[in-house]
This record gives sequence, structure tokens and C-alpha cells, in this order.
Amino acid sequence: MEEPALPAEPVRTAVLRCPDWPVTAARRREPALVGVPVTVVDRGQRGLRVVAASAEARAEGVTRGLRRREAEARCAGLVVLDVDDAGDARAFEEVARAVEEFVPHLVLHEPGALSFATRGPSRYFGGDDALAQLVLDTVAGLGITDATVGIAAGVFAAGLAASRSLVVERGGTVAFLAAWPVSVLAGPVEASYGDGAALVDLLARLGLRTLGDYAALPESAVAARFGPPGLLAHRLARGEPGHEPLAREVPPELVETMELDPPATRVDEAAFAAKALADRLLGRLDAMGCCCTRVVVEAETEHGERLTRCWRHEGALTPSTLVARVRWQLEAWLVASDSGVAAPGATAADAADAEMVTGGLTVLRLAPDDVIPATGRQLGFWGGDPAAADRAGRALARVQALLGPDAVATALPVGGRTPLERVRWVPWGDARDDTPDGASAAPPWPGAVPGPAPARVFDPPVPAALLDARGAPVVVSGRGDVSAPPAALDCAALPGGGGPLVAWAGPWAHDLRWWSQRRRRVLWQVVVDARADGRSHQVACLVAVERGHAAVEALYD
Amino acid sequence: MATALPPRSAQLASISRRTTRLPRRDAAARAHLEEVGRHTRPVSLAHERALELGPSLAALVSRGTLPRGSVVRVAGAPGAGVTTLGLELAAACTGVGEWVAVVDPAGSLGALAAREAGVALERFAVVRRVPPARWASVVAALVDGVSLVLADLPAGGVGVADARRLVARARERETVLVVGERWPADAALTLHARGSEWDVVGDVTGEMHHLTERRLHVHAEARSGAREGWLARAG
Repeated sequence: MEEPALPAEPVRTAVLRCPDWPVTAARRREPALVGVPVTVVDRGQRGLRVVAASAEARAEGVTRGLRRREAEARCAGLVVLDVDDAGDARAFEEVARAVEEFVPHLVLHEPGALSFATRGPSRYFGGDDALAQLVLDTVAGLGITDATVGIAAGVFAAGLAASRSLVVERGGTVAFLAAWPVSVLAGPVEASYGDGAALVDLLARLGLRTLGDYAALPESAVAARFGPPGLLAHRLARGEPGHEPLAREVPPELVETMELDPPATRVDEAAFAAKALADRLLGRLDAMGCCCTRVVVEAETEHGERLTRCWRHEGALTPSTLVARVRWQLEAWLVASDSGVAAPGATAADAADAEMVTGGLTVLRLAPDDVIPATGRQLGFWGGDPAAADRAGRALARVQALLGPDAVATALPVGGRTPLERVRWVPWGDARDDTPDGASAAPPWPGAVPGPAPARVFDPPVPAALLDARGAPVVVSGRGDVSAPPAALDCAALPGGGGPLVAWAGPWAHDLRWWSQRRRRVLWQVVVDARADGRSHQVACLVAVERGHAAVEALYD
Repeated sequence: MATALPPRSAQLASISRRTTRLPRRDAAARAHLEEVGRHTRPVSLAHERALELGPSLAALVSRGTLPRGSVVRVAGAPGAGVTTLGLELAAACTGVGEWVAVVDPAGSLGALAAREAGVALERFAVVRRVPPARWASVVAALVDGVSLVLADLPAGGVGVADARRLVARARERETVLVVGERWPADAALTLHARGSEWDVVGDVTGEMHHLTERRLHVHAEARSGAREGWLARAG
């Protein structure tokens, strides 16, 4: 555990940043992508947006935040890849291991960025400039040429210095910061309080354009006018640590440990255990009125190896951000040890490095680092109770522990023609990359069954017999011609085993897999006059006929 | 926690005491305090302890609300509308920002129908394909965490002892438990789906364009009495 830093003197820190790491990582996985314009897209609030682009693509005008379609229009031959956080984290582990050779206590920010305190290593290697050069050379040895290193007092200033590849001299951090526009404050404020853009916009409209202007204001005036988010920004602008140090000692027993028996060899097993651990850790911190911005993930393997890595988040770690980081790290440890050897382009030295984990994980430990006072959280305004969400999450996690992680699901409407096709079940806790109003289901689906959705969808469908007026099965020819109008349906899933039809609609024909084995499926909506307990009532269902066999696909229960 | 606060009646009494003691000239402060008093009046208490149902089901139950912690039995033949009634209850619950869990041993719940009934799918967790031996422990875990549990009974039914334990647990946690017809313990409310009539628009040969609307005949039976009603729904 580190001593809380004094506010006036943040630790001199180096930040190593690999711009557009998703592209670099993709090229390391797939060497054929080198020299080709590549971009990585992620599904955001409003569709697929560019999150990283290669230099070739940038030269053609592809920038962050561009829509996928627009990016493809600007740059011919653009290769578009989906974001793969886990893969990026695996690839970055190699960089972290190389830098760790000569720097103790690395802190990973996200795949593509890490930081470390320079005090020790820079004395040993002969100054900050020499250290920065050494780091760059090491990273270049791995084939990463576009990395940048910045050194300054505090992580915030060092991150800015890294974007210009600068080593700020001792005592010069405040002067270095003063010239930056206030817009650089948006990120840190966003991470801690949300809505960083609004604060930055307000500052600019008040005529405070640079960090120097803002830092010159008296702190009490800032606190009165802008509140806690403004204070955080003010401290950063003055080159101080963003968060107030904790006034009391952090008890050492906050470390959360879980023994895994049998040892976890798959990422999802270990990640599932990590989720419970993360909830416990944050719950205990919360009870103390604290939160943490850094966490040390530690694991032991069956063969007694001990792995440690520290991760940092810009604001306080929330359950989801913490679990994401632990998952990235587990991915890096467990998957790199399986596939790192066989990965294309891996040299023998890589393979030796990658074989760090030789068995399953037996112990998983999370230790909070850099504990800060909690800034408080906003309760839902219109009756939304965050405690209810936590309570539900815990109960569902218990059921997952009982039945396995896939047993609890939420439904995601997707495109398709039959009720079975139109729903994807996402395991509880996984990202529901949801688009508002089910926009992903929007493209026209010719042959989709209209009308209300059935409340019971059978998977697999229940075998049935769809008969015409003479009692012969209704069949459909290859051209889609129906042999006779249906008149009765027999099925075990219906009350009384089925009965005569009151009405029917259809058929809706679907050609399935026309590119290989052509199959034709025909759907009918029928209303059956079923008899149950001596009373007759109408039962509506969806019947499919395929290759002469009828089956009830869904029941409008 | 709510227990740490003084009871509402005490709060109200203190407000009215302060209101009467205020000097006459301080009309603005008096109006302000009246306003505060109006907000803290225990009118919302009934809302907090009961689940308000949607307009279609409200007519079938007394006061249009479902007391939290009660067990609702939904009965009816397959295809008669049992699932639709359950989804109506779920929609009423997610509509006020709360969470619903479904135990679906057959794994056949149609999520699109849930969305059409007005359920917010992001607060609607479905436990699919529960082994019968684990059914009671799964439902017990869910009753602890969410506001409403729609529990389809497993094929082999539920034991009386398990059912009574769940009733007690639901009452203690103030969770509404919705169960199927073969529920062996008592239920505060029983909704019978008596079958439905579909809007069959088409010619005399029985051909229609597609299914459109249905009217679901519901018979509600509570301790206070029985009511009959029709639930008009698309689906």
C-alpha cells in the first residue's frame, strides 16, 4: 500500500501510449493487415463508429467517431474490424512484460496505455530522457514503432506529455499544463462525475480557455461556482493529484481472496469468480465510504506461480469497469499461455515469454490500491432505485452460481422472420449492445410472420399434423403451391390434442439455405377450435410445414 | 433504511406544529411548509406497499393493485392465455422501474410477446431450462432479489412443503410470486384464463389476413370475491 501522496507534489510519472492500439493488436494477430488501411469499429449509442484507424486510413481522412459507412466511403479498400477488447489486452500483455523487465510497479490504464513512477528507474538508467528512450527502444524491439512516452508530475500531466512525446523537466509541470486548452479536462471529469463536456463548454463560454486561466481562479470561488466536478478539474489544472488523499488509514484486510477449486483453466470460469470478488471488494469499500481508482489483480497457479498486475481507471472503479479489467487480465494470462505459442508471427522468444502460466488458476486476489474518499453517487431521480438493481444483480448471480452462467439470460430482439429467429438470448451480465427501439431488427424481412408475437415459442418445434378437409396432410410443392386449404390440426401440445380450424392465414414461404441444400419452409397461422374440460375455446398457433412434416412452432398463449 | 426515520405520522405532526407556530406575516414560508407537508402525506404509502396494475387488469382486482408479498396463481389450458396474463403482471412491474425474473423450465417463453406486452426487456431476466430438482432453490434465490417472479411449475409439480416455504419467503421479502395452476399452497389471487376469441377477419372459407386482436376472458378469484372480465390484447 502506498502512502497517500501530498497534494502539492504528485509523483513523477511516465506514461507509455500506443496510439490506435486496436489496429496494432489486430496487425500483430493478422500480419496480412500490415500496410493496408485498417479501422476498428465499435457499436456505440448511434451505430457503428470508428474507434481506431491505421495511419494509411487516417491519411484518407478516417477519424475517430466517424460512422462506418462514411469511413468506407472516404477510404477505398478499407478493412473494417470489430473491436476485440480481450484480444487487445492479450496483445498488450506482451508490451507490459517487456517494460516490466526494467520497471517495477507498472500500472495498466487500458489496452494500449500504461504508466509507472519514474523515481527509481530514472536514477538507475541515467535520467528521464534516457529512461524514455529505453522504453521506446524496448517497445520498438517488439515491432511497435508508433508508441510515445511522456514524463511529468502526475498521471494527468504525463498523459498529456505522452500525446506530444515530451519529457517535462522537474518543476516545469505547472507551466507545461498552463498552455493546454480546457477541453483536456473533459475526460477525467467525465470519468468521475459524468458530463465532462458540459463543464468544459461552460468554462470556454466564461472565457477560461486554457488550464492556466482556470488554475488562476481562487479555489473557493471554483468550489462555489462549479461544485465537486469543477474542483477536480481545478486540482488537475494546477498540477495536483485529482482526488483528495484519504484522511485515514486503509485497513489491510480489504484484500479479497477466492480459492478456485477445481483450478480455473478457462477465462469464463475465472471471470465468473472474479465478478463475485469484485462485488465483494467494492461493497466493502462502499460501506467505508471509499472507492478506489487502482486495483491489483493477483493470481496463483497450480504450480505455484504468482502473477500480479495493477490496473487503473480514470475515475472510481465501478463493478463493471473493475470486472472488465480483471477479465482483460485473465484473458492475457490464460489465453496467451494457450495460444500465444501457436499465434502466427510469434517468435521463439515470444513463445518462451508466453508460457508463463503453466496450469489453472487456484487463487484469485483483488487488492485495492489508491483508495480515495467516495464522491457520492446520484440516486435515480424518477423513482429508479439503484439498490434494487444491485439486489436483483446479486440474486441473479446466485442463480448463475447454481445453474451455470448461461442459465440466466435476457432477451435481445434481433432481425428475422420467425419468432424463434427474432430473439437472441444474452447471458445475464454480458453486454446487451442494445439499440433503441430494436433498430437492429429494422431491415425488411420478406416473409416475416405479421401480427402479434406468440407468447410461447417451442425450440425444437412440436410435431403435429396439418390436415385438409379430406383428412390428407397439407403439402407444399417446390413452387410454393399448396395442395389444399388446411382444415384441422392435431398436436400433442394443444388442449384436447387439437381439432378443426376456425380460421387460417398464410402461407408465408421461406427459402432456407438456398445456396447449399435448398429447403422450403411454409408457415401458417391457424386458429383451432380446441376442446378442454368439456368446453371449447379458440387456440391460435403458428404451424410450419417443411418437407411434408408439420410442426407447431409457437402458441399464441 | 426506512426504519431509521421517524414514522410519517410523527413527521407530519412536526410539520403541522411548525406551520401553526409561524408568525402570520411569514406567508411564503408557511406556503412552503404546506407544500412539504403535502408531499410527505402518507398517500404514497399504499403505492409503496402495492403494485399498481395496468388498466386492463386493474378492473379485475380490488383497488386495482396487487399487494406486495402475495402469491398469484394463473390457471388455464395451454393456449388459453396463461402466459399473456403473466406478462401483463410483469409489464406492470418493470413499468415502475423494478425488476422481474422468469423461471421457464420449458425454455419456451416468447420474448417478443413480452416486449409487446410492455415489459422492459433489460430488467427482465429469464432463467431457462431449470432442472426440476433445483426449481425451489432457484425460485427462492430470485424471490430474495427481484420485485416479481413469474415461476412456471416444473413438469413434476412442486411439493407442498417447498410451496409453503416460498409463500412465506415471498411475504417476508415483499415479492409478488406468480405461479401456475398446479400450485399446491394457497394464493391470494387466482386468475383463470377462460380462453380467448380471435378477431377472425376474412371470407367464409376461413381464410384471414393474419391474426390481429384477441379478447381474453379472465375470471379473477380473490378472498374478497370473484370478478369476470375481458382483456383486449393484440396477442
